[in-house]
Amino acid sequence: MSLPRPALAAFAALIALAPAALAAEAIVTVQGSNAVEVVDLDASRVVATIPVPGSPAGVALSPDRATAYVTRPDGPGLAVIDLAARRVTGLVPLPGGPLGIAVNPVSGAVYAADWYAARVFVLVTKDGALTLDGEIATGASPSGIAVTPDGATMLVANREDDSVSVVDAKTRRESARLKVGHHPFGITLDATGSRAYTANVTGNDVSVIDVAARREIGRVKTGDRPYVVALAGGRGFVTDQYGNTVTVFDLATLAPVATIDVGDHPEGIAASSDGKRLYVANWGSNTLSVIDAATLAVIKDIAVGDGPRAFGDFLR
Amino acid sequence: MKVMTLAAVAALAAVSFTAQAHGPTRQKVSETIEINAPADKVWAAVGNFQDASWIPVVEKTEGKGGNEAKATRVLTLKGGATVEEELGKYDAEKKSLMYRITKVDIKTLPVNDYSSTIEVAGDGAKTKVTWRGAFYRGYMNNDPPADLNDEASKKAVLGLYKASLENLKAKVEKGS
Repeated sequence: MSLPRPALAAFAALIALAPAALAAEAIVTVQGSNAVEVVDLDASRVVATIPVPGSPAGVALSPDRATAYVTRPDGPGLAVIDLAARRVTGLVPLPGGPLGIAVNPVSGAVYAADWYAARVFVLVTKDGALTLDGEIATGASPSGIAVTPDGATMLVANREDDSVSVVDAKTRRESARLKVGHHPFGITLDATGSRAYTANVTGNDVSVIDVAARREIGRVKTGDRPYVVALAGGRGFVTDQYGNTVTVFDLATLAPVATIDVGDHPEGIAASSDGKRLYVANWGSNTLSVIDAATLAVIKDIAVGDGPRAFGDFLR
Repeated sequence: MKVMTLAAVAALAAVSFTAQAHGPTRQKVSETIEINAPADKVWAAVGNFQDASWIPVVEKTEGKGGNEAKATRVLTLKGGATVEEELGKYDAEKKSLMYRITKVDIKTLPVNDYSSTIEVAGDGAKTKVTWRGAFYRGYMNNDPPADLNDEASKKAVLGLYKASLENLKAKVEKGS
């Protein structure tokens, strides 16, 4: 695949922005424990448990990776966490049921999807406090959100509408709506922002989207009830909630590669920045599975609190 | 059972239409019991997906597909309500099975998107049975009424698990 020039420039910018030598950590929402845990991925253990009321579910990190934003669907609202101090610095109330969350990597704006409605809240930091600054109309039950590396375009998976909203981040307006499979939940963009992948919960497949062309270009079969996709080493890794597996497929050919057994009800999944490891939050078994991206073996299970979900961008 | 009025049928249809969405917070419960019998004997009582007679509220089990994945069953409960279920995973060697409810009235069991796993682990003459459930509450929107909130859903499922596992224990131990 040859990359268009703007995408290449964006990719170069992303590399330049990558933070230097942070201790590798996972920021895991443990919903049943009403907490967010910081997992040291080198030591393979929880090093901090930060109480967060309201059943924390979704998580996203600020562009400098110093702040975590967490949705609290039973608050309802968001929590702002200072990751260095390891404490909550703000609880922002929101209406509805905030679940999916993402941060604009350029502007730092925070987007939170209202599961019960058809809108995404936009929040910005004003005078040091995260503040509601408007909302964007989407399809029904918006879930996962992804933003292109240049910060210009947001993609929102609309679970009850079997669609993806393409939103102009500047005007905060939907510019296109793409049909995808049944009940898309998680949505993941590649590093260049040129392809996106939705996990279609009731369709048991993944839709592959050409972002520039604004259309679905392929479909990949998964295990039972896929949740979200992570990308590493030219492969897609999909958590199958009911299958207790991770489905692996080739990003170029979209052909299946393997099925990996993980814990009970796997949900959030993300790849390390070097692409060598994948981390899977197993909601049912209260563990974080560590997968070797090359051998596809589960090399470790790290014990975490009750009901880890880690829906979003949870590694730093 | 009374004949359903047209209004009730319409209401039910409306409910199943909106039943696609669910609360944002999946709940989980787990219940374990120790039975004084070897695992094979316990598995014989709980390991047949086509016979749910060990669950006290079940009057009749009708299904197809045996113990293969995707097998289905309809449980008719005492009082006439029904529950439709589908087998997800079945492992006779590990003595474990996972199934989900494909159709239930929230008045019968206040849950949505329910799946559960039964595991039988033997240790000589004693056997541990663990029943785990994962589900969303009965009410699909914000501000649920008290009888359909997270706590009510968990209480209903746990009550079912406790009564059923105690019944299983009594049944198997009596027969040993």
